[in-house]
Amino acid sequence: MMSSILSGGSVKLANRAGAITRLALPKGRMLSRTAELLEAVGLGFDEYNSKTRIYRMSSKTMPSLSAKMLNERDIPVQVAVGNYDFGICTSDWLQELQARYPASRVFKIADLCFEEAGIYLAASATCNLSRRDLSKSGDTWRVVTEYPALAEAAAYKMRLKKFRIYPLWGSAEAYPPENAELAVLRAGDENALRSLNLTPVSKLCDSSACIIANSDSLQKGNFSELLERLTSGFKVNKKTRQKGEEFKPVISNDIDFKAEKDGIWLALADGHQQIHTAAFLKKTGIKMEGYSSDNLRRRPSCNLDWVNFKVIRPQDMPQQVANGSFDLAITGRDWLLDHLYQFPSSPVTELVDLGFGWVKIVAVVSENVPADSIEGLKRLIEKGRMTPLRIATEYVNIADKYLRDKHIARYRVIPTWGATEVYLPEDADMLVENTETGQTLARHNLKIIDTLFESTACLIGNKQSIRQTGKKAKIARLVKILREAAETR
Amino acid sequence: METQKCKGARDLLPQDMERFRQVEEAFLNSCLNWGYREIKTPTLEYIHLFTQAGTLTPAMLGRVYSFLDWDGWGGERVVLRPDGTIPTARLYNENMAGQKISRLCYITNIFAFEETGKENREKWQCGVELLGDSDPTSDAEIIALALQIVKSLGISRVELKLSHAGILKALIEEMKLKAEAREALLDEILDGNWQALAGVKSTNKDAAAAVAALMKLKGKSSGFLANLKSLPSISRNLKNEIDKFASVSGLLDTLGYSYSIDFTSIKGFEYYTGLCFKILSGNKKICSGGRYDNLVGLVGGKKTPACGFAFLLDEVVQIVKPWSRQKADKTVLIQAVNRTPAAVKASFELAGALRRAGLVVEFAFSGSQMAARWKITVQDKPGAYVINDQGKDVQTKVKSANDVINIVGGFGKVGK
Repeated sequence: MMSSILSGGSVKLANRAGAITRLALPKGRMLSRTAELLEAVGLGFDEYNSKTRIYRMSSKTMPSLSAKMLNERDIPVQVAVGNYDFGICTSDWLQELQARYPASRVFKIADLCFEEAGIYLAASATCNLSRRDLSKSGDTWRVVTEYPALAEAAAYKMRLKKFRIYPLWGSAEAYPPENAELAVLRAGDENALRSLNLTPVSKLCDSSACIIANSDSLQKGNFSELLERLTSGFKVNKKTRQKGEEFKPVISNDIDFKAEKDGIWLALADGHQQIHTAAFLKKTGIKMEGYSSDNLRRRPSCNLDWVNFKVIRPQDMPQQVANGSFDLAITGRDWLLDHLYQFPSSPVTELVDLGFGWVKIVAVVSENVPADSIEGLKRLIEKGRMTPLRIATEYVNIADKYLRDKHIARYRVIPTWGATEVYLPEDADMLVENTETGQTLARHNLKIIDTLFESTACLIGNKQSIRQTGKKAKIARLVKILREAAETR
Repeated sequence: METQKCKGARDLLPQDMERFRQVEEAFLNSCLNWGYREIKTPTLEYIHLFTQAGTLTPAMLGRVYSFLDWDGWGGERVVLRPDGTIPTARLYNENMAGQKISRLCYITNIFAFEETGKENREKWQCGVELLGDSDPTSDAEIIALALQIVKSLGISRVELKLSHAGILKALIEEMKLKAEAREALLDEILDGNWQALAGVKSTNKDAAAAVAALMKLKGKSSGFLANLKSLPSISRNLKNEIDKFASVSGLLDTLGYSYSIDFTSIKGFEYYTGLCFKILSGNKKICSGGRYDNLVGLVGGKKTPACGFAFLLDEVVQIVKPWSRQKADKTVLIQAVNRTPAAVKASFELAGALRRAGLVVEFAFSGSQMAARWKITVQDKPGAYVINDQGKDVQTKVKSANDVINIVGGFGKVGK
């Protein structure tokens, strides 16, 4: 899917007289440093701050420069396909893209010397694994990572005989040693890695904030003014470069934790869903230790000594339940369905609708598209407009199935890592998104043309675990506790 | 018109397929004639089959088509077969490991990503594997078979080049590099970059010098190997490998095959352990192969000596002379004056009789894609045909299918 996007992207961004230069700026943790840097070189954007709700900005000083805020992980792809002339992101995402698609039309212009880190292949500090052990052994190594392409290249290079790579949305450090032998992840340095209770096996590459450019834009347009400013910023930044503070993990990766041998494993959400899940668990009467915002651990405990917990991303839970790492998990139905559409015979199933975290999954287009339903949109497509239809979404498999079911003849699914609203109308024609009130969508001048389904948090389980003697009764007991709490709203 | 074909994919048209079949038939006839039996392995395999073999370089693995199957939640990826030999080794392990010697052959497609999309990402190979025999005669056998196939295809300007993976590995061993540096060097060499050797800093200067010298030398006979053996810098381990090489090249000398020795001529496959060869025609590689005694063990079987080769079908079809266009001459078109049910029935009956007599018959009620010499028009009244010899512009009226066969089949001695 991605390959067709990358190779088929059209480049319409030559900097002709009066043409707009498009810049992709990162959301999230890189935002404030990037904003400082742009301010320092006189390229500031009023709305570019962490509180902003506007993702589309024009420069105060360079009228021909417009910028959008994207998830930093999406920036190299978007620059590569020619939707943006330039982007600022950390170079790890560029290298991940290039590891998978060496012919991508994107390259790094300059390092910005902040957000410096390394991408490491690491193992749990509790096991003593060397490169040699890894290459010699005929065991199957489980590798968890947000960087599947870099991890795969490293595995080939090290000649691992058998390995499985589990692509993750995040929290890779939580998996070893119980659910993976190896993780490929970003860390400031080896000490930062050790503070996550991981030992480095090898460093795959360095990463730091950088400016990237679309190769075709650079060949065709004249961007010297912008480039000179950005490069001067590079110097400014180098001068003010500070040594990073000592790294403290946000969530403690406690490996001295002793898992209950015959206990069942339940995955709990980190991130936005953590508060809601914690509130729900409180309602069940289960007394959690280490699963509150002020005391968050990767392996919390509770007063039920037959349950083991681990805190990971909800998006990653269905596959981790399917492969047997966990017996149960609390995640959203949206992510369960996305998994089941990818793997229809997966052993994961919904056990209890927990009722909280309600959203609806919707198909969204720009307000000025003359269609109010998917059928209307289809008629436009049949008339030759918006074809192939470009769909930006975090729910790749849900979107794919939806478009197949609706008999849309030609479409391209553009996987994103969030902030999807900003893609319409220039970088995509339709979104498959979740929404609670629809307000964010309305603020971005978008409209809903179809509701795919409603999603709430649910308890999911592995069908095999449920039948397994020794687990069966415990799972039934926990299901009962959670169901009762869900029913008393 | 906008093309809808995938980048790097290719359609094979009827004229392409005629050539493909021509090569495949020549290949299969020779193989069957030498006691090889045809197999087919599935297009999909688990990726670990190829990673555990440790025989494709990281660069090659980085270009495989791999994906998670519909039941791939366990993370086990499947690939579109990137190579023909490794699946054959698996098939042998799982089905015929008890046999002493297996002679197998196959015609298969293999897949590898190619960036520009201008080259084919799906390629075809005709492969031969001889499993279970370590004797030098088996190396000689497969080379002789490959050359016979080349001959039966009428390919000219053929050149046979020999190298020896055992010698190369022994040489690199003697450079006494650290494990990582050795692997990196091997990867470079296997990807065809011989320059990498020059850049290696070896603690064993003599060995490095010997390597450099060897790579430059090219020989024409076993005498060259004897000369190499007597060089002072050659170690005992290396001498052993040279002896192994000489035992095969000596056989080739006896059998009267001419060849040249070029150590830099192997590329790509780590799985070779002994003699390797390639066949070129006009500087174009059309076939390569060699001995791979470790592979069967590496993919989970008992250690089994083996050797084999593969013809690059896509290259071969470009240089073979196509069969003479006799087929067009043998094709008969049948049409009817009026397309009544009775006339159609009479046409089908006539066509059946002609086909049984060995002719190619095509209905041309509404026209034909073939330009054929013979066109027969079925008249409305039963048992009346007009034969039109378009080659000579002659028309003949006849009354029975046998008359038609006698006239039309006369050129090719078909029918009774």
